[in-house]
Amino acid sequence: MDIKVLGTGCTNCKNTIALIDQVAKAKGVTVKLEKVEELRDIMGYGVMSTPGVVIDGKVVHAGGVPSRDKVESWLGA
Amino acid sequence: MLEEAKEVCPTTTRRLLGEGAILMDVRDRSEVTAFAFDVPDVVNIPLSELEQRCSEVPRDRPVVFVCDTGVRSLKATYFLQFHGYTNVSNMGGGVVKWSAKGFPVKGQRAADSCSTGCCSPTEGTTTTSCC
Repeated sequence: MDIKVLGTGCTNCKNTIALIDQVAKAKGVTVKLEKVEELRDIMGYGVMSTPGVVIDGKVVHAGGVPSRDKVESWLGA
Repeated sequence: MLEEAKEVCPTTTRRLLGEGAILMDVRDRSEVTAFAFDVPDVVNIPLSELEQRCSEVPRDRPVVFVCDTGVRSLKATYFLQFHGYTNVSNMGGGVVKWSAKGFPVKGQRAADSCSTGCCSPTEGTTTTSCC
C-alpha cells in the first residue's frame, strides 16, 4: 500500500504520519509511507486543506488529522 | 505533475491589467477592507472560499492571483492549474511589493496582517518577471 501524506510540514501533518505509521505497525500492514511537502506537488492532487492523505493515487482525506478509526478503515479492519 | 506556476512582478501585472487581465485577490475580506489594490479589474475570492467559487474565475481572460506576499496566491494559482486553467499566474510579493513600487492602493496595511504563516519566501515558481 502506497500512502502519501500531503502537507508543508506542520504539526498536524507530522501527527498524521505518526498515526498512520502507528496503526500500520499495530495491524502488521506493510505500507510505503511518504511525505509530500512541496506546494506544487501537493496541489497536483488538488488538495487545498492539509494534511491530505493519498492512498494508491487516490485522495482519501483532506484537512485536519484523520481519526484513528478512519486510518484503521484505510488499512483494513 | 503540474507545470511550474508562472510568476509575474507588479510591473508586469500592471501591463497585463492594461491588456485585459483580471486581478484575483485571495486575501480575507478584512484584509481587503483595510488595504486593497486600487485598480478597476480586481475581484476578491478568499482562499478559503476558492474551492466552492472557482467557477467564478474566468477562463476567457488572463488571471493574476494576488495576496499579501504571494504565498497564498501561489497556492490559488496551482489550484486553478489543477482545474485546467492555463492562463493564470501569481504575482510574487503581493500587495506589499505592489505598494512598495508606488502602485495604487487604498487604505493601510495592518502590521500584523500576516498572522497565518504566509510570509515565507515564494518557492516553486518560474519567474518571468522583469523586476
